Amino acid sequence: MNLAIETKDLTKTYKTSSGPQSVVKNLDLQVERGEIFGFLGPNGAGKTTTIKILLGIIDSTSGEASVLGNPAGDIESHKKLSYLPEKPYYYEHMTGVEIMQFYASLFGIKDRDLCERLLNRVNLGNDMNRPISQYSKGMQQRIGLAQSLLNDPELLFLDEPTGGLDPIAHIEIRDLILKFRDEGRTVFISSHELSDVERICDRVAIINKGELVHQGRLDQLLSGGRIEITADNLTEEIANKFRGDDFTVSFKNGRLIADIPDSAHPGEMLDAIRAANGDIVSVIPRRKRLEDLFLESVAGDNVLKGRKMSKMTDDHNAAEAVEVTTEEGAN
Amino acid sequence: MGAILSIAKTTIGEAIRRRVLLVILLVGVLFLVIAPGLSVLSLRQNYTVLTSFTLGVIQLTSAVIAIVLTVYLLPNEVERRTIYTILSKPVYRWHFLLGKYLGAVGALGMMMLLMSTVLVLVFRIMQQQASMDDVLQLATAPIFFFVQMSLLAAVAMFFSTFVSPIVNFFLSGGVYLVGTLFSPVFQDLSNNQTLPAAVKGAATVIHSIVPNFAQYNIQGGIINQGPELRSIELYYVQIVVYALFYIAAFLIAGMMIFDRKEV
Repeated sequence: MNLAIETKDLTKTYKTSSGPQSVVKNLDLQVERGEIFGFLGPNGAGKTTTIKILLGIIDSTSGEASVLGNPAGDIESHKKLSYLPEKPYYYEHMTGVEIMQFYASLFGIKDRDLCERLLNRVNLGNDMNRPISQYSKGMQQRIGLAQSLLNDPELLFLDEPTGGLDPIAHIEIRDLILKFRDEGRTVFISSHELSDVERICDRVAIINKGELVHQGRLDQLLSGGRIEITADNLTEEIANKFRGDDFTVSFKNGRLIADIPDSAHPGEMLDAIRAANGDIVSVIPRRKRLEDLFLESVAGDNVLKGRKMSKMTDDHNAAEAVEVTTEEGAN
Repeated sequence: MGAILSIAKTTIGEAIRRRVLLVILLVGVLFLVIAPGLSVLSLRQNYTVLTSFTLGVIQLTSAVIAIVLTVYLLPNEVERRTIYTILSKPVYRWHFLLGKYLGAVGALGMMMLLMSTVLVLVFRIMQQQASMDDVLQLATAPIFFFVQMSLLAAVAMFFSTFVSPIVNFFLSGGVYLVGTLFSPVFQDLSNNQTLPAAVKGAATVIHSIVPNFAQYNIQGGIINQGPELRSIELYYVQIVVYALFYIAAFLIAGMMIFDRKEV
């Protein structure tokens, strides 16, 4: 396999006052060349630490990491990769083109035309002589992408590239990233924007508390959607027939709402409803979303607990609302 | 080399725009300008008082600028994440540290040049009977202050690789004070044959580790011209070589620590 990034048993442990704390635990990652790879996880999951190890900014405690065929941190690899950190800061006294020239000089490049071409590519051609202090957040993110292309990189590390941007800037950055893949570059994105990741990434890895939870192609990871079937005029006896391990079934006042996996032969269920003289109200297939997978992956965390609690509260309020409506109707 | 110079150039650009440094510089320049008015208070030895006061202002202002400028150089880069963008390029950490140091020295040099120019102008206006030779001799002192401050910046840069800016401010300031006020004392103690070996040894260690900042205060000779300023060239060469040696030692030690530091 032609890998751009590979880690084996990568571990990073910090000594803290309460004892050693592993931020990254036995991480095995494989990023293929030419793909957009999404690296996901909740805050504090170890994403940025992993990126820093891959860039050689910090050392791992144990395990191996190779980038573009060289050990992580190798200066030869740095000639062929780029990094755009989360919320980047640029020297504000410089203009757009001066910033580009500064970063170009770190590669030994003295080509002003190249800097201007790249600024034009990210739609900053008209603003290249303005000081960075006058740039909006979106413009700063675009100049970050422009500087990351100075060395014509084979591999780009983008940490939250669309974080905090307005919708237009968001779409612009997303389109640029897709173009990078079309040009044959490998893009490694760490992001919380799950809809973006789902839209543009070929493969993803989800880590939680430093450990790899899922890794693979998005279409494979998101296979196994669910179907919601709603039917009226049924008896509870019929409804009970549909209860199963992976089925969520509710029945009230003759209305059945069943949430079943799409692999559970919904046709048979529909036939059974018709045979019982029930009326099928709706059959709604629901594709599994990255958000669902992400939430499953970080299950047990406070974030998810909070979310479940919030959902339960909503359901409880909804149930109360139904009861009130019924009582009012009765009155 | 290109990367080092680029980092240095950018550091100068940032430093000369830092408001806190400009305020310190402005205060220094203000004191230089009003100095002739203050020296009127001393009816005798007008030239002596003016020279002593203005050179003292330049030295003190430069020392504060050197420390304030340098202690924040590395922490700011980490806090603003600019260091990550730079270190992900083919740039070694020692390139980065050396570039930042050279930038700090460059910015310091520009600010000290401004103060020295004001100093010369003040003397030309106020001491019109003074010859050009007198003025040039006066301007020699800031040159050696610059060497002194470059050494101080190297000390602050070394500490900035492992302590916070506030701690660094007091550490570097402390080293400067000890090296300026007590270095001759430690030198005398280490050469004193009558002292116990332990005291002599301790004095020698401190005298070797803490740079002798006092030797760059050549204004004493300018103010009270005496025998110590004769055959001065060799002395100047010696103290410059001494400074270069200590600067290299502090920077290399800083690079070794910074190379292993998790940023």
